[in-house]
Amino acid sequence: MTEENVIEIHNLQKTYDKGKIKALNGIDLEIKKGEFISIMGPSGSGKSTLLNMIGALDRAEEGTIKVAGIDLMKTRDLSEFRSQEIGFVFQMHNLIPNLSVLENVEIPMYETRVKSEEMRRRALELLEAVGLKDKADKNPTKLSGGERQRVAIARALVNHPSIILADEPTGALDSKTGDVILNLLKSLHSKKQVTLVMVTHEPYVAEMADRILHVLDGKINNSS
Amino acid sequence: MIKNPFRNRTRATLAIIGIAIGIATIVALGMVTGGLQSSTQSTLKAGSAEITVTKIGNFGSSGGVMDESMVTDLKNTNGVKDTAGILRINSNVSTSSGGSGFGSMGGFLVNGIDSSKLALVGINSVNGTIFTNGSSNEIIIGKTVAQNLNKTVGSKIDIYGTEFEVTGIFESGNFIYDIGVFTSLSTLQNLTNNTGKVSYIQVKVNDNANASQVSKTIQDERPNDLSATTAVDQANRINQSLGMIDTASWAISLLAIVIGGVGVINTMIMSVFERTREIGVLKAVGWKDRRILGMILGESIVLTLVAAVVGIILGIVAVEIIFKFFITSQSFEAVLTMDTLLKAFGVALLVGIVGGLYPAYRASRLAPTEALRYE
Ligand SMILES: Nc1ncnc2c1ncn2[C@@H]1O[C@H](COP(=O)(O)OP(=O)(O)OP(=O)(O)O)[C@@H](O)[C@H]1O
Ligand SMILES: [Mg+2]
Repeated sequence: MTEENVIEIHNLQKTYDKGKIKALNGIDLEIKKGEFISIMGPSGSGKSTLLNMIGALDRAEEGTIKVAGIDLMKTRDLSEFRSQEIGFVFQMHNLIPNLSVLENVEIPMYETRVKSEEMRRRALELLEAVGLKDKADKNPTKLSGGERQRVAIARALVNHPSIILADEPTGALDSKTGDVILNLLKSLHSKKQVTLVMVTHEPYVAEMADRILHVLDGKINNSS
Repeated sequence: MIKNPFRNRTRATLAIIGIAIGIATIVALGMVTGGLQSSTQSTLKAGSAEITVTKIGNFGSSGGVMDESMVTDLKNTNGVKDTAGILRINSNVSTSSGGSGFGSMGGFLVNGIDSSKLALVGINSVNGTIFTNGSSNEIIIGKTVAQNLNKTVGSKIDIYGTEFEVTGIFESGNFIYDIGVFTSLSTLQNLTNNTGKVSYIQVKVNDNANASQVSKTIQDERPNDLSATTAVDQANRINQSLGMIDTASWAISLLAIVIGGVGVINTMIMSVFERTREIGVLKAVGWKDRRILGMILGESIVLTLVAAVVGIILGIVAVEIIFKFFITSQSFEAVLTMDTLLKAFGVALLVGIVGGLYPAYRASRLAPTEALRYE
């Protein structure tokens, strides 16, 4: 593994329904530390599956996958890896409804040794960075879609991960709000020097990235 | 996270009510047994009589049913040290102050006894002075009576139209006596037209004599007339029925655990089901299976502990109501012991753990991708 590659994937295969559905069919991929990558491709091509593999939410059957120096095929308990190295931003239904905004940002730190005052301080700092410090004590159900997504971004960053995985983070937002979220992601990416991997359907959104990957039938299509 | 179990109000309330009823039953039975226990424990007291002699067929041991001559008769029995005849009248005394709380309804027991024999009924010390034998209208009252009727030394009490002056307040340690009053035997006999009569006789045996032996002798010498019971017998009999209530209480606890447990499992499974996606999010941010297990289990325990508090209050209120309106004799007070409280919380905790374990396990084993796909 090269020093600067934060993600290295070779011939990764993942099937569903006892092999009937080949969601990933031999992925080869290297992503450098601090890169901003967009993933595009038709619906059902395997984009989310790939992102879930990188974030260790699921295991592949074949191939190798190393993320942040950790061999995800061989490591047994991946929860610590997720907590330390990965920040997820999903399309929607991201937040826990009966916790406050602040508590939602704090939840990734429960598995760390961070003290509660420090947890609070860090969560508030990130809420400030996403412009929601004044909404810290609000319930997330009282927030707009764009605000919720900003809370999710704050939460994704709170454990200082090396990679942010964003699966259609603007998919449920109108284009104006979506742009705010994208700009926020992009600026935090460069400021915190975190690797950003984002799935999107919008070509103009994908253009913001350093590199665009096209996924087709569970493979990376290099021709584009 | 504490709020989680209560997100679905109706479901949580139903589960809580179910468990609370079980807990309430445990507490109510516990209070009754606790009351009986604390009253039996104190019946055996230094200096007091070991044997109670009653007339066969006179179950309540009240009224003038026995000739006073029997008191001296019994004293001549082998092994008997002293005897005391007691006239007990169930009095429905109306007092101006009335009373409230446990044991205040109906009346109280008026006992007549020779003032020199008070030790035989366990009254060794009196706050104030003892009544004098003879016709003076003096009376000593048990501390329960004093509390319920709000009487102190020097207060007046009306008994059968005669005014008595309280000269002392005693605490015998025996609930039957503490809810009664004592006056001179002859005074009470005259007042109630029971001259020369007593209700029952207390017998103290010699230090080297065997109480059961003496008890048997007394009974055998007067077959079909007298019945003699030793305090030990009495305590044993009460302990036996206490044991039965205790068994019943455990059986109900078990039922509460099973029924409550099923309710909790149902509530928590539904709750986990509804939060599938949230659990997926928690896993995605790095929560370990153990923490998710602990969270659901904790919620289940919170649910049952709330039920325990509700149940304990329910149980106390129920016992209070039953004692106020249905138990008219002042036979004993209900006592809430630490044991009962611990048992109630213990059962609740057990239900919480047993009922929460399976849903918590299910939640912890959810595959994160499946959970996140769930809508
Ligand atoms: N848990 C699952 N069980 C069964 N099949 C699944 C599962 N997850 C994904 N699949 C299948 O795997 C394939 C890839 O799915 P994936 O979600 O990765 O697509 P995608 O590229 O993210 O699509 P979209 O753009 O619609 O989100 C699809 O055919 C999908 O139906
Ligand atoms: Mg997808």
